[in-house]
Amino acid sequence: MLQFVNRLENRSRRVLITLALLIIALIGLVDYLTGHEISFSVFYLLGVALAVWFVGWGFGALISVTSVGVWLLGDFASGAQFSGPLVPIWNALVLLTFYLVVVWLLARLRLFHQELEAQVRQRTAALTDEMAERERLERELLEISEREQRRFGQDLHDGLCQHLTGATLAGQVLEEKLAALNLAEAADASKVVEIVEEGINLSRRLAKGLYPVELAADGLMLALEEFAATSRELFKVACHFECDSPVLFHDPVTAGHLYRIAQEAVGNAIKHGKARNILIRLDVSEESTGLSIKDDGLGLPEPLPEKRGLGLRIMAHRSGMIGGTFIARRETTGGTLIACELRAEARRKPPSQTPP
Amino acid sequence: MNAPKIKIFLVDDHPLVREWLTNLIHQQPDLLVCGESEDAPHALAAITASRPDVAIVDISLKHGSGIELIKNLKVMLPGVAIIVLSMHDERLYAERALRAGARGYIMKRETAKKVITAIRHVLAGKIYMSETLSAVFAEKFVDGKLPAGGSLVEQLSDRELETFQLLGKGYETRQVAEIMNISMKTVQAHCAHIKEKLKLTNAAELLREAVRWQENHPAG
Repeated sequence: MLQFVNRLENRSRRVLITLALLIIALIGLVDYLTGHEISFSVFYLLGVALAVWFVGWGFGALISVTSVGVWLLGDFASGAQFSGPLVPIWNALVLLTFYLVVVWLLARLRLFHQELEAQVRQRTAALTDEMAERERLERELLEISEREQRRFGQDLHDGLCQHLTGATLAGQVLEEKLAALNLAEAADASKVVEIVEEGINLSRRLAKGLYPVELAADGLMLALEEFAATSRELFKVACHFECDSPVLFHDPVTAGHLYRIAQEAVGNAIKHGKARNILIRLDVSEESTGLSIKDDGLGLPEPLPEKRGLGLRIMAHRSGMIGGTFIARRETTGGTLIACELRAEARRKPPSQTPP
Repeated sequence: MNAPKIKIFLVDDHPLVREWLTNLIHQQPDLLVCGESEDAPHALAAITASRPDVAIVDISLKHGSGIELIKNLKVMLPGVAIIVLSMHDERLYAERALRAGARGYIMKRETAKKVITAIRHVLAGKIYMSETLSAVFAEKFVDGKLPAGGSLVEQLSDRELETFQLLGKGYETRQVAEIMNISMKTVQAHCAHIKEKLKLTNAAELLREAVRWQENHPAG
């Protein structure tokens, strides 16, 4: 029914006007053929309703008048007898009033309907804008946090670590001076140097977590290799990185997001999946480049909880930001697969004459 | 009279490191810091002018690349022994630095205790690296992963060698496939064979090896 109404809605005014007139003519004919004793007045409403709804209240009123005329003509033509000349006039006026009330009601209804539709459209537009804005903010937030992390990591690496190196050197000078005086305190100075050296180690590791991917094109391969090694060391799991042929990324932003996806996926595999074996892969084919992280842990909960883990959401978001397709699923063989597929164009860049 | 002191030049962009490295080196009666610089372009000129025996270079400088500086020094002043000081992990960068021409590699967190030993080592004509790193290299050598004179590359087939050369020139797998007019699958198969023949563990190593080989055989 709704489909039928929708289809009529899309027709031109001329078609609809013709249709309304045809209906009235058809009903008039049937009315005449069935004789004056059987009233057909109510069926004219079909044409009236059509006229009001799809063309307008003016045309609706016109069709009402026409319907009454046709009905009256039909009755006369089929030989109706009235006791006085006022009777048919009275009947016609009653019917016309009835039709006009229907016209008025339908016109109002139509108006409400249109207003409602306009309102829905407006709200939808506002909502779409809101969603786009939200997405933009989310992206900006991620970019800001990325930038801040990078800056912080670089400051740690280039600032604090160098400063601490200066401190170890100063400590070493002190140790040697004390040793030259044959003082036992030289051992303490040596200890201080070792402690500060450990401090350099700690802040370097911290910096590496914040700012993992070097800007060179092969930076992601190196970073993932180092990350797999660090994960093995720290979490005592078999975490490996595989890459059959070299995969280069000329855009550090893309490389950075892929690294974060791998980092998050491995973290989840260990923390939530209790995985023992994790494989990080970078693959390249004619059409796409893909990062995948497979583990043998508990797998993603199915169905995914209402509030999907923030981690998954952010991974999907990162993937979207670099134009990739994100996949997170429980493997039939057990464990989880996290993957990000990038179409070939995302990485394409003309070859440079100098090697990377 | 005192014997002439051994001259050392420092290249590091952090003043505190330069200052205390100088103090530490001056604890040694026979060593003298003859100059210092905070970036690569200035360093090259200053080192050429002061002719030190040893240059201690941080490879990550604010201006210019330390690795490039080492390569330039190696060509222009082959008599200067270079020791690399770096915040970066030796497992990933030492090989690169040594291949560029450095005679020693020290991670910055170990500088205080090791820099003097390293200077003595390179002055004696030896290469200096940490025990961990020597162990890694020794293992690679035993496993045949460190080719002696590039002889392993000779085992590659013509098509494999072409792949290897194109990768070394900076082309990506996909471009290699286009240039050689073969499928990516074939390129990947070539890569797998090259890795096997050159005893490389992964694609990053393959790429490094290809770039290094290309640098040494530019005509290829």
